[in-house]
Amino acid sequence: MGKTMAEKVLSKKSGSDVSPGDLIITPVDLVFAHDGTMPLAIQQMEHGLSKRSVELSKRSVFDPNKVVGVCDHASPSPSEKVSNIHNFMRKFALENRLQFFENGDGICHQIVLERFTAPWKVIIGADSHTCTHGALGAFATGMGSTDVAAIMAYGKTWLKVPESFKVEITGQLPKHVYSKDVILHIIGKITADGATYMSMEFLGNTVDRMGLALRLTMCNMAIEAGAKTGLCKADERVREFLESYGRGKEYAPLAPDKNAAYTDEIAVEAKKLEPMVAFPHKVDNVAPVTQFEDVELDMVCIGTCTNGRIEDLRVAAQILKGKKVAEGTRLIVYPASRDVLLQAIKEGIVEKFLQAGASIGVPGCGFCIGRTVALGDGEVALSTQNRNFRGRMGNDKAEIYLCSPATAAASAITGRITDPRGV
Amino acid sequence: MNEIKGNVLRVFPKDVNTDEIISGKYKYDELDIKKLAIHAFEAIDPKFHEDARKVKSPILVASENFGCGSSREQAPLVIKACNISCIIAESFARIFYRNGFNIGMPLIECKDVSKKASQGDGLEIDFSAGTIRNLSKNETYKFKPIPEFMQKLLDAGGLMPYLRKSGGFTE
Ligand code: SF4
Repeated sequence: MGKTMAEKVLSKKSGSDVSPGDLIITPVDLVFAHDGTMPLAIQQMEHGLSKRSVELSKRSVFDPNKVVGVCDHASPSPSEKVSNIHNFMRKFALENRLQFFENGDGICHQIVLERFTAPWKVIIGADSHTCTHGALGAFATGMGSTDVAAIMAYGKTWLKVPESFKVEITGQLPKHVYSKDVILHIIGKITADGATYMSMEFLGNTVDRMGLALRLTMCNMAIEAGAKTGLCKADERVREFLESYGRGKEYAPLAPDKNAAYTDEIAVEAKKLEPMVAFPHKVDNVAPVTQFEDVELDMVCIGTCTNGRIEDLRVAAQILKGKKVAEGTRLIVYPASRDVLLQAIKEGIVEKFLQAGASIGVPGCGFCIGRTVALGDGEVALSTQNRNFRGRMGNDKAEIYLCSPATAAASAITGRITDPRGV
Repeated sequence: MNEIKGNVLRVFPKDVNTDEIISGKYKYDELDIKKLAIHAFEAIDPKFHEDARKVKSPILVASENFGCGSSREQAPLVIKACNISCIIAESFARIFYRNGFNIGMPLIECKDVSKKASQGDGLEIDFSAGTIRNLSKNETYKFKPIPEFMQKLLDAGGLMPYLRKSGGFTE
């Protein structure tokens, strides 16, 4: 029987021929956590391991080059409490000589993917959107702080080999329909637990033609269908991406076997799709943008690990060029990383945003989690992020709609949810 | 861990997410889980924390996909800090499931449990037999046995004590 991509990577890593359902112990190539999860992981590592054991209390991280910490979720720190927690994390990072990234360097996923992600790696992050990294052909999944503490200490983890869910996308995407619309459409169809515990593998000629940014958006949201990871083939596009970061040597191709066994599958015809919106308060509440065109917006948000990359900003800036954000609506843009912001400055994108009346945030999670930007009571936001749960943006009396960067930009101009195809 | 006896504190619907269990707006400010636990389920069930203290050995029951959303371990930790001994759901989100066992809290998957058990019911859970006895309704429900490795984690009290005991990951 042939193997899916997840089964291939896990077989190679664990040194055995694995099948879905097997419980394996595997070495981890990279582990990371952020300011919302690392402090707890440090506590678990220090207290969990140290009690009654001198040897273990002195245990530091297994390999400082493979452990990454990022201050991105509540960054720049908005309060003294958060600053103290950041300091706790900073101190641990310094003592253990971790790969540590500061307030303003960017979102953990973007940083890891620019610097560390490569095909065939096993990557574990203390963040549910770690599945993002599968877009480069890595087996990447999110875990909790205790799992991550154990990996920081031992460099290994236990995993159940997942079953795989094949997503076959074929044909040409219509103008102003993006991978964000594709993944929202899929989640709407299979629901928030449609791929629970599975490896969601994105295949088909539409995906082959997609640049990395588009693939990353889909893998990022695999978790919103409950998946353990999302994976795309590692192909020439991945090689080019790695080369652009001087890491061409880390490239190795990955594709599923022809006779790979998928437990479930869905076929998507790209040309039939429209711009989609997820409406409050669940990601699987999905319908075409045209059904929401009377929804008035207080805030439009572009950024996050889903859609804060340079390709996303380009699309939005192109639509906003020479236009103004509607009166009564605020547009905020958070580039996903320092590199993304630098590139956006070079290309004149930041200028276009500023001239349109947007505000530009410090690279990081920003508005996504409601920690440094929050909504007011009864306010309505349209965002390029991946979750619209009640309270997600810091206020449980607010409403969040999700969409692509193109839909967000078009809507910022009108102040209502707007179909980007008409702009 | 062989048996748990307790009372159903709440029966939650489908897709309760981690933001509802503990809002992201608190978790960056507080490392003390006991203090964080005051806000457990605050947005969807403001009386949760108070009621949890009134019930002897409280147990949670839920429908499908309990704990979906973020990887925050604060979610199962605040539930545990509210003295919840065990969660029985029709299914759990993957990361939440792992996190529960890692912190030594048993999670049980049992078909249709949210339709069968009601708030206030007395339950007796037998792990080796894989059964839940509902003492109030005089019914018995079967559940999928807990995988052997997870059982070891529970017996040790969680992943960290397990690793301490076994000296690391052993195959
Ligand atoms: S941008 Fe949002 S979804 Fe992504 S890591 Fe940050 S908080 Fe999580």
